[in-house]
Amino acid sequence: MGALQGRLSAASRGAVLARHALLALPLAFVAGALLVPLGLMFVWSFWERAGFWIRPAFTLASYTEFFAGVRLSVLEWSLVVAAGVTVLGLVLAYPIAYFLALRVRRDLARNVLLLFTVPFLVNYIIRTFSWVYLLSRTGPVNRALIAAGLAGRPVDWLLFSDFAVVVGLIGSYMPFMIYPLWAALDGLDRRLVEASWLLGASPGITFLSVTLPLSMPGVFAAAIFGFVGSFGESAVPIILGGVGYQLMGNTITSALDVLNYPLAAAMSSVVVAAMLAFLLAWYLAFDLRAVLGKIARWRF
Amino acid sequence: MGHDRTGVTRREFLRRAAAGGAGLAAAGGGAGRWAPAWAAKGAVTLADVGVGDPGGDWSKFSGPTGWDVKLVAIGNAPSTVLNVLIAGGGTQIYDIVNIVGGMQKPLVENNLIEAIDTARLPNWGKDTYIREFLSPGKPGFDFIGYTGKVYGVPTVLQGDSFAFLPEKTGPLDSYGAYFDPRWKGYVALEDNFTTTGQKTALYLQKNKLASIKDPANMTPAEIKVVIDFLIEKKKAGQFRVIWSSFEQAVNLITSREVYVIDCWEPMVFAAKKKGVNAVYAAPLEGYLLWTMGAYVVKNPRRSKEQEKAAYELLDFMLGGWYGAKITLSRGYMTNPAAAPYARNNPREFRPAEAEEVAAIDANVRKKFQFGGTWQNRWPTHVEVYESEWARFKAA
Repeated sequence: MGALQGRLSAASRGAVLARHALLALPLAFVAGALLVPLGLMFVWSFWERAGFWIRPAFTLASYTEFFAGVRLSVLEWSLVVAAGVTVLGLVLAYPIAYFLALRVRRDLARNVLLLFTVPFLVNYIIRTFSWVYLLSRTGPVNRALIAAGLAGRPVDWLLFSDFAVVVGLIGSYMPFMIYPLWAALDGLDRRLVEASWLLGASPGITFLSVTLPLSMPGVFAAAIFGFVGSFGESAVPIILGGVGYQLMGNTITSALDVLNYPLAAAMSSVVVAAMLAFLLAWYLAFDLRAVLGKIARWRF
Repeated sequence: MGHDRTGVTRREFLRRAAAGGAGLAAAGGGAGRWAPAWAAKGAVTLADVGVGDPGGDWSKFSGPTGWDVKLVAIGNAPSTVLNVLIAGGGTQIYDIVNIVGGMQKPLVENNLIEAIDTARLPNWGKDTYIREFLSPGKPGFDFIGYTGKVYGVPTVLQGDSFAFLPEKTGPLDSYGAYFDPRWKGYVALEDNFTTTGQKTALYLQKNKLASIKDPANMTPAEIKVVIDFLIEKKKAGQFRVIWSSFEQAVNLITSREVYVIDCWEPMVFAAKKKGVNAVYAAPLEGYLLWTMGAYVVKNPRRSKEQEKAAYELLDFMLGGWYGAKITLSRGYMTNPAAAPYARNNPREFRPAEAEEVAAIDANVRKKFQFGGTWQNRWPTHVEVYESEWARFKAA
């Protein structure tokens, strides 16, 4: 009996060891491919320029330059745009996900969800350029507006404007937002909704007090996709923005163009810090484990 | 360059393998007839921004020299070039880097390129454009030289201005068109402080609207004047967009989204091919002049044979066939041998093509004779240029 227990215990220790070894691989990858570069970036942000390269030092010059210059306004504007795109994206994506999860047949929902992946078969830059054609002064949208008598002349603000950037960002990131929302809503326990009805709650009250709170983990995940993607975007502002429209990705690239590595590193560090703060706030508000649990249940 | 355990470099290994292959092919009788004559040697690796490729046909070089050309793409932004050479191990990979010139200072100071021995280039002495526009003491020398030494071989030359749609604007002959209220909201600029910024400075200087000593190398105070001027116009709604890619600029012209656009001449050629009557302006203030510079990448481990082949390729790029091919395909002036070569070799260039080469050559030569300002890719206060340009964009 004792020998058997010993063998079982050894087998159990072996399994634990194997699990740890298996876990070590992705951990090593994350550390090597993500944490080390991030750490280097953070350290370099305090270094100083030496000719065309950088040398070790501890100076806040790059942070001072960033916070005292016009680039801070780019950060502020990037946060505003990313937040706006996230909210608009949720407003558009939630009803789509809601109907796909709760109002249509499952096979039809899967087909429609598949359709949302079709745009990703086209190159991202070409997809963005297609908006230029659609929204230009001589493009189909303006022609339709004029033909319908809704505009006497081409509407300028459709393209190379805040509007165009928001359209481009929503077009790019909203499909990513639909999937976690659908996953959250699809996994919802329908009996809770039925219970709400049986207790006399109206559809609106049921949605606000049952469906929406239970789908918040999906909202959280969708918001992450929308916000992080929009915040770091650089191609859409260049192609669809107006005169010198910039988000943080663009201004970091611009600093790199003149080999100002410490400034680029400082700006990137601030961006990462802002993202971490955002994630922490959402984590505290909605509990990240709930999202992960939902996704895990949905996947397996 | 990595060594394997036998002490043979990778390049040498490839060369030996190629030589072995060629030997086997020759021994194989019939099959050997199809092995290219230059298969026994190696390849010169040329990193290029997309201008220096003669349609993939390097046979005119490979045939006589026995060396092939391995063409690889490289970005033109200074940071890209430096990053590829410094961090990306480019010095071990590339023999020649063909980019827009004027990058000698950062490249030399980072020990990335080597001075060119022009005596090893027979075509150098025959190139009257080099003597006329790029010799030491002339402003153009800064595009290929540094501290009195030559570092770049000028493979193409061009003078930039702007394009307009005459059906909308009538004839235009001044950079003032960028700022003319008649075209408010119909002007596009390039997202580049060394082109748009410098052309604006040239306009302000020539029209005595600002005190700017040298538009090619402005002081921080002068840059601020230029950017303040641009911001004022931007806030008045003068500009529609600033573009950052070739296709984007061509699309702006062909869709008639803008009537006046700060751009490169090949974009006008592209627009014309799409049936749009765009005109490349001859501004009274002059042109933004520039050349491509083919730099020899510094690699102490490069063999003498490899170096000799690199020099042979540089010389080939100063020759008539290559020049005519590039002029025809890109619309840029290359070297004085290009037009005569195209004219005298009707089996390689049809008469219409030869005429086109001659016309482009004459047109660009006129621009250089007229003058303007030489683009400065790496001005003394480059960080100020960049931060002020960021201010313009954020305004």
